[in-house]
Amino acid sequence: MLSVSRLSKSFNLRPVLREVTFDVKSGETIIFMGKNGAGKTTLLRILARIMTCDGGKILFQNKDLLKGSPDKRKKILYLGHAPAMYSSLSAVENLKLVMNLRSTPISEVTIRDQLEKFSLLEQSDDIISIYSQGMLQRLKLICAELVDWDLLLIDEPFTGLDELGEKQMKDSLNQWKISGKTMCVVLHSRQKAEKYASRILHLEDGVIKES
Amino acid sequence: MFLTLLKKELFIEFRSREVILSMLIFGLSIILVFAFTSNVSKVIVTNYAPGMFWIMVLLVTVLGVHRSFSYEKEFDAFSLLISSPIDRGLIYLAKWISGFIFLTIMEAIVIIPFFKFLLIEYPSDLLLSVVTTLLINLAIMSVASLVSGIAMRANLSEVLVPILFFPLVSPVVIAASKISAGIMAGDPYQLWQIWLLIVISIIVIFSLVGYTLFDFITEE
Amino acid sequence: MQSFFKQKINIISLLTVTVFMLFNIWNIIYNTPMVPEQHWAQKIFYVHVPSAWIGFLSYFVVMISGIMFFVKGNDYWDRVSLAAAEIGTIFISLVLITGPIWATPIWGQPWIWEPRLTTTLILFLIYVGYFMMRSFGGHVERVKRYAAALGIIAFVNVPIIFVSVQFWAPEIQSHPQVEIAKQPSDILGPFLISLGIFTLLYTLMLKYRIHVIKIKNKVVANV
Repeated sequence: MLSVSRLSKSFNLRPVLREVTFDVKSGETIIFMGKNGAGKTTLLRILARIMTCDGGKILFQNKDLLKGSPDKRKKILYLGHAPAMYSSLSAVENLKLVMNLRSTPISEVTIRDQLEKFSLLEQSDDIISIYSQGMLQRLKLICAELVDWDLLLIDEPFTGLDELGEKQMKDSLNQWKISGKTMCVVLHSRQKAEKYASRILHLEDGVIKES
Repeated sequence: MFLTLLKKELFIEFRSREVILSMLIFGLSIILVFAFTSNVSKVIVTNYAPGMFWIMVLLVTVLGVHRSFSYEKEFDAFSLLISSPIDRGLIYLAKWISGFIFLTIMEAIVIIPFFKFLLIEYPSDLLLSVVTTLLINLAIMSVASLVSGIAMRANLSEVLVPILFFPLVSPVVIAASKISAGIMAGDPYQLWQIWLLIVISIIVIFSLVGYTLFDFITEE
Repeated sequence: MQSFFKQKINIISLLTVTVFMLFNIWNIIYNTPMVPEQHWAQKIFYVHVPSAWIGFLSYFVVMISGIMFFVKGNDYWDRVSLAAAEIGTIFISLVLITGPIWATPIWGQPWIWEPRLTTTLILFLIYVGYFMMRSFGGHVERVKRYAAALGIIAFVNVPIIFVSVQFWAPEIQSHPQVEIAKQPSDILGPFLISLGIFTLLYTLMLKYRIHVIKIKNKVVANV
């Protein structure tokens, strides 16, 4: 499904990732753990092609992700720390844009249904700059529900969520796991990690250590 | 996909009106300063008017593109664009064309106070003025959007954009002042057609180079 | 890493270029004829024109290595483009200094918007911005790509800048350097020799600077 070999990246000439190599099989949930600044976010952002890497190779569904047409990335969804949406647009408009950018437009009704499911319907026409962190986190969760992805890259999904939100996130993760979806998740809590992980990969000194 | 991106630019602007409004107010203030500094009631400034107009456009453009690229940084919205499976060159084209539209709207509003405040006569050939101005706007924006795309995620981008933009856009500035001066003076087309060619070649070159380079410079 | 001048080839090149350059200066001072109306001022062209040639060649190298950097993604090309940009700017500055020195006695004033000099000035300003971005831009890895892009558009822009500056003020006479090919052989000869020696000097400078940038990057990385 995803095969990463000898991936390296430096910031200001200091290496953060050196020769990161791992494989993800279809249906696996990989949890990345490691200290702050170990390069977990960097790794996800490189896989999402938001960041460049200095060297190495990434194969996704047997295609070289670092070269050629952007269509290869169509089935990858990245949800990072930041909302990655436009602060001056409403939730509905942002979700519409997300889907349009993937050339899979959907109806407003479907979007509103999802917003209702994650208790955001009341604020669905407010611009998202007034949203709290938990609400933005839910918005990302809705993205993941709407987009048809084969590989989900998600960075600390539980940050800022209230009890209900946390439950919804857990349900979604479980749901995806059961239906055999592939995920790469960055988590800090070992307890949660052990619950969802097919495998836990530790990032330490720029290399992967499996545990 | 290009239309989706362009629609997004226009829609956000329609919502916030940040770009056009700031360009407009800034443009009017510049005209006011020109009027105050050139002693318009006693001196006829027709000869300097094309220069003044394009200076105003350049300054306003810097403000506009900077605003248009900085809302991409809020909430890390830009990573939505580049992680989406789209051709990144289209991001440049959308920024360019939307910037062109904003600039044109701003000019259309500001042009009347410009002529009235500076006590200049309107050019006789209005159609020709409009067509050439549109082309010059396209050229100016093609350079400005590329420079802004390059500098947007560097530190000090608000300083770097004007410093890089002004020398790079100098051929367009020369051409623009010559064309406007030619039209204002009622010169025949043959006298200034070379400048139109320069403007068009800038449009062609920068749109191609920008489209190609954006794929490489948008990633973090 | 081995010191640059510990390598035999480099020390030989250094000595050769030094000897050649000394010869070049001597040759220009004593072996070239005085041009009647210009007297000593004309001699500056044996330095001015080669400097301009090196400057533009160097900026061309910046563009090519920028393209190579994007295609190959190899840091080597970033070092080449930074080195070429630095050396190019040194020579372009020399052009902007020597031009007015010549123009003051001949044209009566230091700056008359001669197209070539004007183009050079615009390019110089673009490169001032380039170095500002290199030093204040933050994130080294990103700035490498931005600098490569800038190097490409700066050079692509050169012909347009030149054409527009030329038509902007067509009444201004061009440098006599245009006619240098028509000069008698006792001027053309030393001129071509000077051009060649400057090019040799440039190659050595570029090689040395790439080496220094490599060491500098290593030092920064290990801090």
